Amino acid sequence: MAVSWLHRLAGLTPVPVFPALGMGGDVVLRRLAQATNIELVGSPRHASVLLVAGGVQPDLLEALRRVHDQLPWPSSSLWFRCEPLPELEDATRIDDIEALPGALAAIHRELLLQRRGSSPRLLPDNPPNPWEGLGDDGHGGEGMMGGVPYGRPMAMNMHDDIRDGLTLDSLTFRIGPFFPAFPPGMSAEVTVQGDLVQSWTTQSLPHLVALDPVFHDARQRSVPIARLELARVRYHLHRLFHGLRLAGWESAALHVLHLAMRLTSDSRADALRRRLERYGFFYLAALDGGVLEVEQARRVGGPASRAAGLDDDLRSEDANYQRLGFSPVFHNAGDTRARWQQILAEIEQSLQLAKQAAREDLHTQNSVAIETPRGPWSDERCPTDASRLLDEIIPGLEWDSALATIASLDIAALSDWPLVEDKPLTRSEERSS
Amino acid sequence: MELLTLFIILLFALGAGWLVQWLPQRHSSMPTYPQRAPFLGGGSPDTHAWNRYHVRYYPMTLLLIAFEMEMMFMYPWAVVYVEEGLKAVMEMGMFLAILSVGIVYAWREGVFKWQ
Repeated sequence: MAVSWLHRLAGLTPVPVFPALGMGGDVVLRRLAQATNIELVGSPRHASVLLVAGGVQPDLLEALRRVHDQLPWPSSSLWFRCEPLPELEDATRIDDIEALPGALAAIHRELLLQRRGSSPRLLPDNPPNPWEGLGDDGHGGEGMMGGVPYGRPMAMNMHDDIRDGLTLDSLTFRIGPFFPAFPPGMSAEVTVQGDLVQSWTTQSLPHLVALDPVFHDARQRSVPIARLELARVRYHLHRLFHGLRLAGWESAALHVLHLAMRLTSDSRADALRRRLERYGFFYLAALDGGVLEVEQARRVGGPASRAAGLDDDLRSEDANYQRLGFSPVFHNAGDTRARWQQILAEIEQSLQLAKQAAREDLHTQNSVAIETPRGPWSDERCPTDASRLLDEIIPGLEWDSALATIASLDIAALSDWPLVEDKPLTRSEERSS
Repeated sequence: MELLTLFIILLFALGAGWLVQWLPQRHSSMPTYPQRAPFLGGGSPDTHAWNRYHVRYYPMTLLLIAFEMEMMFMYPWAVVYVEEGLKAVMEMGMFLAILSVGIVYAWREGVFKWQ
């Protein structure tokens, strides 16, 4: 079929990309969010290119095949720092993050101009359960509700409602590990009644989270406090970026990202706080739930524990932090709102510390135990995976509160390897290193 | 004759509508079963997605309709008010008072709580 002018026009539009994130793949989100010719979409149904970013464990490949087959025709895939599936012979692999937007745009254009064939379907085209054609209406079973229409049984009210006694049909499904609102790699078996989460079982753990190399250095030797604090701010800003994207606030998320990109010890977060308050971020009804008990908060550690009223922070044991007058900020409510307020307060505090430390050229004293943005880190205690905690706190929440709670909790375990992010050194880093 | 003309116009309109839908899709086949499955980030559902779902704002909607109907009664009342004067005001006052008891009751039952 000849290429129509419609295809040509479509080739000029932003590329709809669905990112399937593997290990260390979340760097691409931050790079692609700034590219004007890329549109990151939330479902493969809206995408024309599947971007697999970072290594995918062998046990998640089946789920990846399912996501791959949900892209509408014509579609293609690009593999960033990841070996393509053996079935995809002409799939492209790319390792340079700067070339990523260009490569995605090229694939999209070739796909629409029909210079590149659509990716083959990986799964057999079979119904999940064969059509039986039984029953009064051919719905595949006996009676009104007993059938398996279109291959699956009907939802039935199997559980009592835990909200207000109005029992509805419960839906059970497994979601993840490529669900964009979850931490990459995490999957869970969920039962919902209406929009209320009835039960939650974490099935696969989120991928390990990598920290800036400066935190690994700080465990070995003395490092400039300004550098350490700026890396902490950057980590928190990246988490805030994901939270704001989940709330649908793309422009505020980009603001956060730009702040993280151009971070120096003179940066200030006033404009960010004003913007979040003016937009009403802290008044969102979805931020109501997700209260952590003190014991649960201790298991997560870091800002989540301080948002629940604990004032544990290893920085207060460091002599030079004491010289800067450091005392941990904390909130008492322990819910999702308190956790975001805590993150914002810690961003402001760390910027203040970085400014003072840069002026006085202070270095860390204590390298036995350091406070990472993910929590305390020493030989005895390392931030471990806390995703099983979700099994306790998510049931009883509505779906939007559940997603907001998951976004506000940093539950992945710490990786042994530092973060590899291709970014130019900021001015203050050059000065301090 | 006019009816026939209208009928032909209708046929053309329907035909054009069908053509607009059929033309772009004439070469593509049905999406595969894996593509038609609900998107769950690589997960799979246990049941069909067709389920009974409670619209939580339902009582609030009913209440809104009830009070809209009450407003409808006030239009003819406005005409009567011109003739009857104070008596009509009293009567409408009683009607509204009884309805407000309904609001107070609904409030106590938690109908206005958004969930």
